[in-house]
Amino acid sequence: MRTGESELRDWMILALNGDAKAYARLLEALVPRLRAFFRRRMAGQDDDIEDLLQETLIALHTRRMTYDPTRSFTGWLYAIARYKMIDHFRRRGRTVPIEGLEDSFSIDSFEDEVGAGLDTDALLATIPDKQARAIRATRIDGLSTAEAARREGMGESDVKVSTHRGLKALAARVREAMK
Amino acid sequence: MSRDKVSCDHLVAALSANLCAVPRHGPARRLVIGLVIGGAVTLAALALGLGIRRDLADAMQSSGFWMKALYAATLAMFACAATLRLARPDCGRMRGLWAMAVPIALLALAALLELARTPGSQWLTMWLGHSWKVCAANVFLLALPILAGLLWALRRLAPTRLRLAGATAGLAAGAWAACLYCLHCSETSALFVLTWYSLGIVLVAGLGALLGPRVLRW
Repeated sequence: MRTGESELRDWMILALNGDAKAYARLLEALVPRLRAFFRRRMAGQDDDIEDLLQETLIALHTRRMTYDPTRSFTGWLYAIARYKMIDHFRRRGRTVPIEGLEDSFSIDSFEDEVGAGLDTDALLATIPDKQARAIRATRIDGLSTAEAARREGMGESDVKVSTHRGLKALAARVREAMK
Repeated sequence: MSRDKVSCDHLVAALSANLCAVPRHGPARRLVIGLVIGGAVTLAALALGLGIRRDLADAMQSSGFWMKALYAATLAMFACAATLRLARPDCGRMRGLWAMAVPIALLALAALLELARTPGSQWLTMWLGHSWKVCAANVFLLALPILAGLLWALRRLAPTRLRLAGATAGLAAGAWAACLYCLHCSETSALFVLTWYSLGIVLVAGLGALLGPRVLRW
């Protein structure tokens, strides 16, 4: 059975007067509530959620004198939870780019690049070979029209037209794939 | 998951094991303690550094003295009320902050009446008094111990709007310092007080807003 605001509040008031049993009951009831609160907002970050949950419990313990018994208990509780969550994001926002610097430079971007390369190859295979070669030369290898024409043994206008037609065909493929 | 469950149970047991009762109105008490300690330091600095004006007993008969003191004191009380509210995590919207406009508006009205009664050639003298160069700086410096006391108190409470809480603490510190500064300062013009006292108070509020996010995090 889920406990409601009025019961939690009664326990809290007893706890403020030094009733350890009521306090233990209160904290036990709060653990699943807080966990659910953080899960809804931080899906898939289970380790962080457990840290945050414990931090929140400690914070509400050390700052319990700021609860005003004439006001809503859950309002007070979730205000603390929200503050702790925002503080957590702020702290992580500041530290992750430094801690994860190597990763974000090497592994992620390497994977992305390989992935992008594979995607490009697969897409280019679906259009006529001449168009694919023209696109590869001008758009991926970064050659000028004249250089591409020399390398691929085509006329300059042929390179331009092939690139243009090829890109149009690729765009159509992608659009189809997205549907 | 089960490990987390265990450590959470441990934490709950540890927190509830040595529970002691907390006093009622804890945040108000704590802020008052910070205020009184800071205020005592400020008062000592004022008495030893600047000196209390010799004609204090006579001055207290005049309306000019009370105008200054009341302006600063009402501002200080509104700022303290706001700080007390911001010390709780669920402070809600701070619409009450507008109340601080009341003493400022009243003093501005008094300044306007004063200007109307005085010939234009004396306005500048009235506005600058004899101590405009030091007034705001004195209020600012005298406010620092009080600001320290209030921030110390807030650190153990649970503000969630740190910049605003720092600013209202600064405002309260500045206004109380201005109130005590009346014991030294012999200026009587409302225009003078409105400008230079307020400038000092606003500077402390700015300092509080600057310090809040750094000092009050928890």
